Amino acid sequence: MTRILQVALRDFLAVVATKGFLFGLVTMPAVAGIMVVVGPRLFDDGDYRIVGEYAVVDPTGDVAARMRAAVEPEAVARRRLAGVRRAMGQVPEAVRRVAPDAVPQSLAAAAGPVPEVSLTLLPADTDLDAAREWLQGNADGPDEPRRVALIVIHDDAVRGGEPDGALGTYDLYVHPGLDDRDIDFCHEVVREAIVDARAAAHGIDRSAIDRLLDVPRQSSVTVGAGADGETVGGLNRFLPMAYMMLLFIGIMVGGQNMLASTVEEKSNRVVEVLLSAVSPMELMAGKLLGAVAVSLVMMAFYVGIGLALLASFSLLGLIDPWLILYLVIFFLLGFLVIGSLMLAAGAAVNDMNEAASLQAPLMVVIMVPWLVSPAVARSPESTLAYVVSFAPPINTFGMLIRMASTQPPPWWQVWLSIAVGAASVVGAVWIAAKVFRIGLLMYGKPPDLRTLMRWVRAA
Amino acid sequence: MRGVTKTFGRLTAVGGLDLEVPRGGLYGFIGPNGAGKTTAIRMLMSILFPDEGTISILDHASALEAKDRIGYLPEERGLYRKMRVRPFLRYMGRLKGLAGADLEPRISAALERVGLAGVDRKRCDELSKGMSQKVQFVAATLHEPDLLILDEPFSGLDPVSMRTLRGIILEEHDRGATVLLSTHVMPQAEEICEHIVMVHEGRKVLDDDLAAIRRAYDPRTVELEPLNADADLSRLAAMPEVEHVRPADRAQEVRLRRGTDPAEAMRRILDAVPAARIEIFRPRLEDVFVDLVGAAPTGLDEEPDAGAPPEPGRTGGTT
Repeated sequence: MTRILQVALRDFLAVVATKGFLFGLVTMPAVAGIMVVVGPRLFDDGDYRIVGEYAVVDPTGDVAARMRAAVEPEAVARRRLAGVRRAMGQVPEAVRRVAPDAVPQSLAAAAGPVPEVSLTLLPADTDLDAAREWLQGNADGPDEPRRVALIVIHDDAVRGGEPDGALGTYDLYVHPGLDDRDIDFCHEVVREAIVDARAAAHGIDRSAIDRLLDVPRQSSVTVGAGADGETVGGLNRFLPMAYMMLLFIGIMVGGQNMLASTVEEKSNRVVEVLLSAVSPMELMAGKLLGAVAVSLVMMAFYVGIGLALLASFSLLGLIDPWLILYLVIFFLLGFLVIGSLMLAAGAAVNDMNEAASLQAPLMVVIMVPWLVSPAVARSPESTLAYVVSFAPPINTFGMLIRMASTQPPPWWQVWLSIAVGAASVVGAVWIAAKVFRIGLLMYGKPPDLRTLMRWVRAA
Repeated sequence: MRGVTKTFGRLTAVGGLDLEVPRGGLYGFIGPNGAGKTTAIRMLMSILFPDEGTISILDHASALEAKDRIGYLPEERGLYRKMRVRPFLRYMGRLKGLAGADLEPRISAALERVGLAGVDRKRCDELSKGMSQKVQFVAATLHEPDLLILDEPFSGLDPVSMRTLRGIILEEHDRGATVLLSTHVMPQAEEICEHIVMVHEGRKVLDDDLAAIRRAYDPRTVELEPLNADADLSRLAAMPEVEHVRPADRAQEVRLRRGTDPAEAMRRILDAVPAARIEIFRPRLEDVFVDLVGAAPTGLDEEPDAGAPPEPGRTGGTT
């Protein structure tokens, strides 16, 4: 046991006592933090101003005037305010409490300056080709607004057409290279004007409709055995993903370190020196233990940051402490399966390039939970979720996603998955130990699958 | 080792090998490259396991149970490149069961003994090949093992380092350690070993004390430097007791037939060709080997530096 601990300690220190590890450890949260602070400034398009001239062909005679009203700054501001109110309904109460003014301000700022749009009304019988020529033509002078869009309202857009009175729509032609925000604004204005015209045509008060449609969205209250709490939107997607990402990072980083150190020991020819002091099984166990410790340190760091952030937003109650315990259990199971196979891969090859080819199938397997995790998190009782949460070696990922979802599985399923994981560990370590012992002293051509099978069958 | 056999695919690396090294022995385990020495040693160390036969080492059925009492310098050796010398030796010492206040002074003393005092803070990738080899030797002997197994310990060393290492091996033996030294460079074994075990193609062909070997294998080669450089050597070749005559540097090597009395033969040679110098060779292990197996196989008696460790094959494994 002492030898195993010595090997584990050396491998642990060889990784964590390096600047590279510390740099890597803080890089992810640092990048995330920078993106939060700098990102909005980097991607800030709040200064983008929608400017230009729209030509309108309006055979109904009801839409163009309403469009003119819809592009007025007051009308635009009114619509934006309604949008901000809707968006605020989606923001968790805790966030609103932290920054009661900042959120609406930032939402309003994101909309950018008020558009400056003028309309040119073309005759209703304007030939379409002629209208398109207008769009392609240059502005009359440097002070004239640029021509950006041609909107052709259909005859039946307001009052419907024969024979069934179905309501028509409009065609939009835009200048090449027009920004998406300009196009969206065009659609918004035309839609607003047509809806307004239709309401008037049917003798309905548009403002009354708007009032009728306005139902402010309130936060739902999650009712539990303890105190009630506010339901946080997107939680059922976020938490499983967060847990899976932790699991993935822990397994991949630890496994990768272990594989690299094994390849290094083999290529440096230090491995036989080690085997004079420890048995192959002790060496393997020590390496696994060292890598587990490295991953646990990393995961503890990230979990700590996550909990601190949640605590600062008073959202700590969202985390079930038992889930953290299960995260550790599933991490250990997943790590011992994937890690021991990566260790075997490291022992079987001569350098990292060769390791990549043996690692590839493992990587594909690990990617499966990533691909199916959204579906499993959304529908934790689906057949897919069952398969993923019991099929080794991805069951550790699958079950954790289900446990972190809004419909956690019954305890017996959790422990059945743990039992499957434990059996997988025994199988994977057994296979890995055979490949590890033989592969360590083999140099030359990397083994193919048949050779690996032969090694596994060997005593 | 009793009747130990190890095969890799169709290749029998070691076939029915018996090897017994008594406590305190200084054994040379010799044979050409590919003879099966390293495979046999790896089985001794429980790094590989035999297909047949039994192994007992320091009264244990497996070296795994006695690793702390064994010092092993493998043929395939290396260091952690980014590790410094002292932490590496500390690590190896701890793996061998050393701990406590005794470890650090022991490392210092061991480094000083091999002439590497002051390199303990160097990174291993800053060491020369010879220095690396000495550090590895220190790692193998730090815990003062009862049994020292050295696989090609002199490969890659310059003559001065070779002499230093040879002295330390003898010191270890004097301390009471049993030494098993494997080499394909037979003169090296001849210089320090008391007992020789010779293997060829996985099988033992000789197992005896060096003195007994020398006694058993008659001297049959005479080196003759004729007084007159133009002397007629055909008379030598025609002598019934002479097997062949061939030039060797500025002299002639006269090989006698088996069973010939060398003293009588030398007198007759001098009668036939007056000599400036005539000398009888002691049988070398190489001659003994050739005598035993019939021909010098590839890899026999190469210069130490040229004797780089063979790369174990994928299909054949190590030999």
